[in-house]
Amino acid sequence: MSEKLTSRQLSKKITEEYMDEAFHAHELGKLIGYSTAISPVEIFVAHDIIPIYPENHSVANLTAKKGIELCSITENMGYTSHLCAYARSDLAYRKSGITVTKGIPDPDLFLACNAQCFTLTKWFQVLARKGNLPVFVFDTPEHIMDKKAREEIVKYCVLQLKELISFLEDLTKKKFDYDRLKEVMKYSAQSSILYKKFLDMAQYKPSPISIFDALIGMAIAVYRRGTQECVDYYQTLCDEIQAKVDQGIGVLPKEKEKYRLYWENLPVWFKFSDHAKLLGSYGGVILTSLYVHAWSFEFDLDKDPLVTLAENYVSRFSNSTIEDRVDMAMDLFKRYSMNGMIMFMNRSCKAVSFAVPTLKDILTKKTGIPALVFESDMGDQRFYAESQVRTRIEAYFETLDRLQEK
Amino acid sequence: MWDSLSLKEIVDHAKDPYPSIRQWVKDTGKRAVGSTFADVPEEVIYAFGFLPVTLMGTNRPLKVAPSHLPDNACSLARSNLELVLSYEGDIFDGYVLPQVCDTTQHLSDIWRINFPDKYVESYLAPRQADRPSARYWVKEEIERIIASLSKWSGKMITDNDLNEAIKVHNENKMLLKEIYDIKKKNPAALTNKELFAMMKLSQQVDKLEFNKSLKKIKDSLKAENGKGYTDIVLVGITCDPPEIYDLFDEIKLNIVGDTLLVGTRYIQGVVNTGGNPIDALTERHFKRGFFTPIHDDVYRNYEEVKALYRETKAEAVVYVHIEFCESQEYDLPDLKNMIKQEGIPIHVLDTEYQTLSLSHVRTRLQAFFESLKGGSL
Repeated sequence: MSEKLTSRQLSKKITEEYMDEAFHAHELGKLIGYSTAISPVEIFVAHDIIPIYPENHSVANLTAKKGIELCSITENMGYTSHLCAYARSDLAYRKSGITVTKGIPDPDLFLACNAQCFTLTKWFQVLARKGNLPVFVFDTPEHIMDKKAREEIVKYCVLQLKELISFLEDLTKKKFDYDRLKEVMKYSAQSSILYKKFLDMAQYKPSPISIFDALIGMAIAVYRRGTQECVDYYQTLCDEIQAKVDQGIGVLPKEKEKYRLYWENLPVWFKFSDHAKLLGSYGGVILTSLYVHAWSFEFDLDKDPLVTLAENYVSRFSNSTIEDRVDMAMDLFKRYSMNGMIMFMNRSCKAVSFAVPTLKDILTKKTGIPALVFESDMGDQRFYAESQVRTRIEAYFETLDRLQEK
Repeated sequence: MWDSLSLKEIVDHAKDPYPSIRQWVKDTGKRAVGSTFADVPEEVIYAFGFLPVTLMGTNRPLKVAPSHLPDNACSLARSNLELVLSYEGDIFDGYVLPQVCDTTQHLSDIWRINFPDKYVESYLAPRQADRPSARYWVKEEIERIIASLSKWSGKMITDNDLNEAIKVHNENKMLLKEIYDIKKKNPAALTNKELFAMMKLSQQVDKLEFNKSLKKIKDSLKAENGKGYTDIVLVGITCDPPEIYDLFDEIKLNIVGDTLLVGTRYIQGVVNTGGNPIDALTERHFKRGFFTPIHDDVYRNYEEVKALYRETKAEAVVYVHIEFCESQEYDLPDLKNMIKQEGIPIHVLDTEYQTLSLSHVRTRLQAFFESLKGGSL
């Protein structure tokens, strides 16, 4: 009997198998569909279309500090430096082939869901022009705070999901299997519950995970949801973290865990581990963000699969009003007992960042906790001022220390 | 107030329409409802007896907007926010704000949070236009906006109210088209600046009054061919500040076609009459030309520009880029390459609300047209 794989080993195995299948998609009679990370990919999975997320590939390159090299190539192609670093690094990869991974297979079609951001839609349009390929825009109007409007938004989204299915049937000359979708939804629902359970383990004191663990742990939810192995992975991960909880093992030892922090926005990928170390040296652990919770779906399997898909995708934090984002963040502050917040103004991600000043004002008022605000870029090191960020972090912890002494 | 304006007065009002709007609101006791770009069905607002005003930024300094939207946000969005937060907000009782991109989505939220005592509604424009669901959604949204305005105002509107509003708006667009047609063939009859001032002011003042001014102007225009004009097509969303049109006039460029929201795309919004007005308003959404945030056909922009260039027999395309407009920034490199490959001369004007240096624009524009005419740079 083979030994049970650890979550890390399982993640590696799932990823390798997934990418291997993707690189051989055409030999297997399958198509490659580029998708935004937040999109009803369950439809793809149910129709045997292999979803590929160019964002994930960009993350790998930006984390490996390839940002300047890649972004510069794209800027020389005539694109401005204000655009998303994911998009810029991807467009450069198309031109130069530069990547720290094995790359990603070329697309056959695109699914752009604007619940995440509109940037992805425009980026996919650029890629579609390069290959004259079809793009399906799954348009998710903002989840505004009006019950009746929300019902209409869901109806509109369900109509579009039906259009998406017809679009895929036309493209593949294959009938869509709704029973298969129900099965995929079952896996997605199960893995989402487990993924949320994993994230919520940051409620323990000391927290057994930091946001950096969450960011690593979320990868499988992003690209393998809707599969049995995704469920298995999160079960394994939850078991491992639960074991840490049972032994009282935290990211920082209990006596050193002074500041339990909220993070707003995506991470600064190329400063990932530096930030964890720096904050840890002050007794700070970033526990969570709305971003990592974006894949905590709550699918209702008793509903029509298209309805529960529409309800879930349209109501992601990134497509919610600022008032709703405040409520979501406040829920995390309470449940995770957080006593600090870092609000990152990410030049790359306008969809998340343009809410940050307003969000910060409301959250600091509601919690009474001061915020550290800093502006940089998630992937382009040219917009990161090391000494400035360090100084601000130091000053912020001094402020928190003073407040705690009172 | 706006029924007998001269061309010069139209240019002045277009530069700063707010004093006259403020006065009009005071005199008539009616409410003004502001919107931003694009596609809010202004006929609906008008049918309620309100004055629909499209906000198009301010040239006055930014004081508070930067604390709400960072410096990499679309300069028009920041400028509009400043306009209402610092300068002209007192004029408006409410706003219907369209969401067409990430920036306008946040702008609606920020606006609502900053005006808790005012009516602020979002118009959720579809960001796809080629599938049946888009038609379904536009109609739903128009009906929702009607219900929302009705709840706010305590008024109900009838089909007749809508039809009357459509009639006034259609007349405005047809007058603008007639004047534009005269201008295309007679470049010296009026300046580019005057023509586009009419387009702008039409979206900001009471059309029932303003149409009278337009009629008088149209009737007074003389056929003046002029000499030495270069016909161009203007592509983009808006072209601001209005002094850019002065530059075009200075070097004798004649705009014979455009894709601007403050231009042909507005005129294209004539609504069919004789049927159900909500259906007709819905249908209108799909008749208008390319607008980068809402059209998902990845070649439509290029096809439209190419067709317009051919049809008007223009000599060049001038693309107006608004700094930090993400939609434009993703489109532009491909569009520019495709247009160039077609052998069409294209010049890109980079504009930014508040901080535009016109001397830089003038030099580049002059150089482009000198080279187009075979002159040395």
